[in-house]
Amino acid sequence: MIIGAALLVGATVVVLGACVLLIFAVVAVRARRHSRNQRDEMLLSPLRPPLITVASGEDDDGAAAEELTWATGVSRTVLDRNIVEMLTKIRGVPAEQLVHVLEVHGAVDAAVADMSSRSTVKRARAAQLLGLARAGHTVPLLVEALGDESVEVRNSAAYALGLIGDPAAAGPVLAAIGAPERGLPAATAAEALQSMGVGISEVLRDGMADANARTRMVAAHLSGERSFTRGLPELRQLLDADPDLTVRETSATAIGRLGRAEDVGILVRHCVPSEPLALRRACVVALGELGEAEAIPALAHLLADSDPRLAELAATALLSMGPDGRDALEGHGDDPAVRTARLLASLQKASA
Amino acid sequence: MSAPAGDPDASPVRVLVADDDADIRDLVEFKLTQAGYAVEAVPDGISAWEAFAADPPQLAVLDVMMPGLSGIDVLRKIRESEFSSVPVLLLSAKSRDSDVDTGFAVGADDYVIKPFSPRELLHRVNGMLARAR
Amino acid sequence: MSWDGIASGLRSFVLWIMDVTAVPIIIYFVLINTSLLVLIGLAYLEFRAQQRRRSTAVAWQGAGLAPGVSLLVPAYNEEAGIVMAVKSFLTLRYPRHEVVVVDDGSSDQTFARLEEAFDLVHVPRELPHEIPIRAKVLGIYVPRDGRTRLVVVRKENSGRSEAINVAINAASEPLVAMIDGDSILEPDGLLHVTRPFADDPTRMVATGGAIRPVNGSRVVSGRIVRVEMPQTWLPRIQLVEYLRAFLLGRTGWSRLGGLILISGAFGLFRRDVVVEVGGLDPTSIGEDFELVMRIHKRLRDEGRDYSIEFVPEPVSWTEVPVTAKVLRNQRRRWHRGLWETLWAYRSMLFRRKYGRIGWLALPYYWLFELFAPLLELFGIVIVPLALALGIVNVPFAILFLVLAYGYAVLVTLSAMVVDEWAFHKHDRWRAIWQTIAASVLENIGYRQATVWWRLEGWWSSLRGKKHVWGVMTRTGFDEEPA
Repeated sequence: MIIGAALLVGATVVVLGACVLLIFAVVAVRARRHSRNQRDEMLLSPLRPPLITVASGEDDDGAAAEELTWATGVSRTVLDRNIVEMLTKIRGVPAEQLVHVLEVHGAVDAAVADMSSRSTVKRARAAQLLGLARAGHTVPLLVEALGDESVEVRNSAAYALGLIGDPAAAGPVLAAIGAPERGLPAATAAEALQSMGVGISEVLRDGMADANARTRMVAAHLSGERSFTRGLPELRQLLDADPDLTVRETSATAIGRLGRAEDVGILVRHCVPSEPLALRRACVVALGELGEAEAIPALAHLLADSDPRLAELAATALLSMGPDGRDALEGHGDDPAVRTARLLASLQKASA
Repeated sequence: MSAPAGDPDASPVRVLVADDDADIRDLVEFKLTQAGYAVEAVPDGISAWEAFAADPPQLAVLDVMMPGLSGIDVLRKIRESEFSSVPVLLLSAKSRDSDVDTGFAVGADDYVIKPFSPRELLHRVNGMLARAR
Repeated sequence: MSWDGIASGLRSFVLWIMDVTAVPIIIYFVLINTSLLVLIGLAYLEFRAQQRRRSTAVAWQGAGLAPGVSLLVPAYNEEAGIVMAVKSFLTLRYPRHEVVVVDDGSSDQTFARLEEAFDLVHVPRELPHEIPIRAKVLGIYVPRDGRTRLVVVRKENSGRSEAINVAINAASEPLVAMIDGDSILEPDGLLHVTRPFADDPTRMVATGGAIRPVNGSRVVSGRIVRVEMPQTWLPRIQLVEYLRAFLLGRTGWSRLGGLILISGAFGLFRRDVVVEVGGLDPTSIGEDFELVMRIHKRLRDEGRDYSIEFVPEPVSWTEVPVTAKVLRNQRRRWHRGLWETLWAYRSMLFRRKYGRIGWLALPYYWLFELFAPLLELFGIVIVPLALALGIVNVPFAILFLVLAYGYAVLVTLSAMVVDEWAFHKHDRWRAIWQTIAASVLENIGYRQATVWWRLEGWWSSLRGKKHVWGVMTRTGFDEEPA
């Protein structure tokens, strides 16, 4: 009992002490944020007018940019952070001028050094800075960072590669998605690849044969978004036989965007009732997108499908396919699906 | 930069700028002021609407995402008010077509996507005012 | 029998009880405190992760892979707020979303208000019957402008769960978000909760976001303008509960890969998966919890590779009960739902194929959520009794209480540090003091009352008493901070 009591007292003291510490921590976190914001504001305030002058493109003689390059010490750090933020908001000549200020400050070189820092935050921020400064010579470094142990750094590296837009990085970005344990989030990869020009179509074709479903999905999605018709054979293959339903749906949508008349057959084949409903619907929408007259009989057949949404999607697709498509709706005029599709089309027309 | 008002003696054209991002607010204000406009800059949707209602400007530049009321909300209120004809330019980081659609559907006259070029923004503002006249 | 006789009889009885239960109680006490320590450890990790994430965040506008979202809004007699809510849902920042309102047989002007505000027209559409529905659908309406992405379904009254099932049938986007008509979404909320789907499109099946009480904050046009503390202590204490539940509980479980509870007031699911498992169970009381359990069970049974994730960013704000009466109903309902769902899925306990769900998450919920009020009640009864009978001395008992409740405060405070660091939604100093005070006050009266209410809920289920909430299946207070 005595030991119990001592233990109890000890534990209570520890717990209450920890509570007090945590209260201090809350207060300290808040106070630090306040004082830091104040300090930054104070340091930045004399530099703010030239920064705004440069950023707004009113620095015709370069005097303001010159003034910015003089900043030293902590003010320079704070200013550089502000410039990096500004670079996410503006483009054009003012952005180039600001990048020049960063270069004069040595911020780009410092970022290159920071890429091997032990701090995750430093590495991630450095990668972002290199991207925003469009530092094309650092692409190999950023590609390497796609395999970083921290997801924040991988994300930042992909973001930076997207900003730089060098299609040479497309392969590594796509491959990074499927890296075991250290995958690159698909959304970041897709966004980066979006801004890499037309040079990436071959990379996407390879990506559609990747072992990782996420990689295949991103490659299929982008082939559709960017209308890379060279990827059609791979897209057809994915729609036919991919083990992952999401990949198949994505491929159907992509084929709808960039397919040809000969793709009607494959889309129709996957509209049959034995396929998952989500895929059937995606294929019907894709047939409408494709807009080929060959699809009309198959779509007309689907007007009587047991799934009301599929029937309505088929009716909507037919309505968008000119007089022949509209003729195919005859005989189904009383179907709820056809009436709904007609009504919605007329509402859209009236408001356009 | 081209002067917004033809007559230098006339009182300057008043523009309302609303953006919660201080960088953008300051730089748009500076750019437009340099071009001869009288700018009132506010940091959120509610003050934007209050400023608009108190003294309607000749043009408004609204950020889409702001705390409180969004730029779309403010635009909707403007279009429902008696000063519904004031031209409005939306400034937004939303880049998808559907967002641009929403903006125009609610009644925006122009739409500039961030990151943007300040020079282009000025040209658009000038153009909108020329058309509105 | 003399008074002394009763006292000594009682005394020996209490002594016997304490003797018998001493070891289990101590084990339980050690376990629960250890798990709290683990939670604090997780909070620390979360603290660092949040700091990293926030200081390295890259703007994401949802371009590219952001899947379309259908916001499902069940509405029962919500004429006062429905139009404002729908307008604010429609203008959320997201590239592709629609709003599906299901008027669950309201007897007020809910539908008329919507019809007027959006100039609705009837469409002859037949709804897909992917999830079987018992109630009759009365009509489907869309705005006349042919552009606003809103669908309104009217149906006979049959409760929130079935209203959501109807909304799922009517939804046309690949993701469905279950939200309450009276909750307020952060303008960026959808971008936050869809992010895991965009990052891992082939595996992610559900995500949930953090929920905060909105009481006291200034709301204009369905948007939060200024975050403020609630006016009274009851919601303030709930605010503390929510902080702890979301910042420690859910995040911790998500990190461990054992998230089994997604908020009813805001959960995002892959539509095809929800359809596959049959939608919400209209007979279940804890229908949101039950749905997530069913998804886990089905996908694990089939050996599928999937993920369910929690997003710590606050995405949704909800009105929490301000009266003890409403709060009591809510807590009774939650505990009943917890018990019935845990019991229904008892077969998942300690089976290899259910992994961390069966070995970690479910046992935890059994031990520290379901049985917690029972043990706490035991303490509430036995300690004063032992004191009165002079079995334990006063300082010892007080010390014990201070330790037990001090632990609880400690956990809350760690959640507060994380919140202050990562989100700092409340920018007044007064809010800090009030939150600290609430985390202490929680232990005086509030905790004991909720213990009792939870047991009431459990008891009513065990007695097989039919759950009587009438047609008024109130939405809005469905979030269980656990």
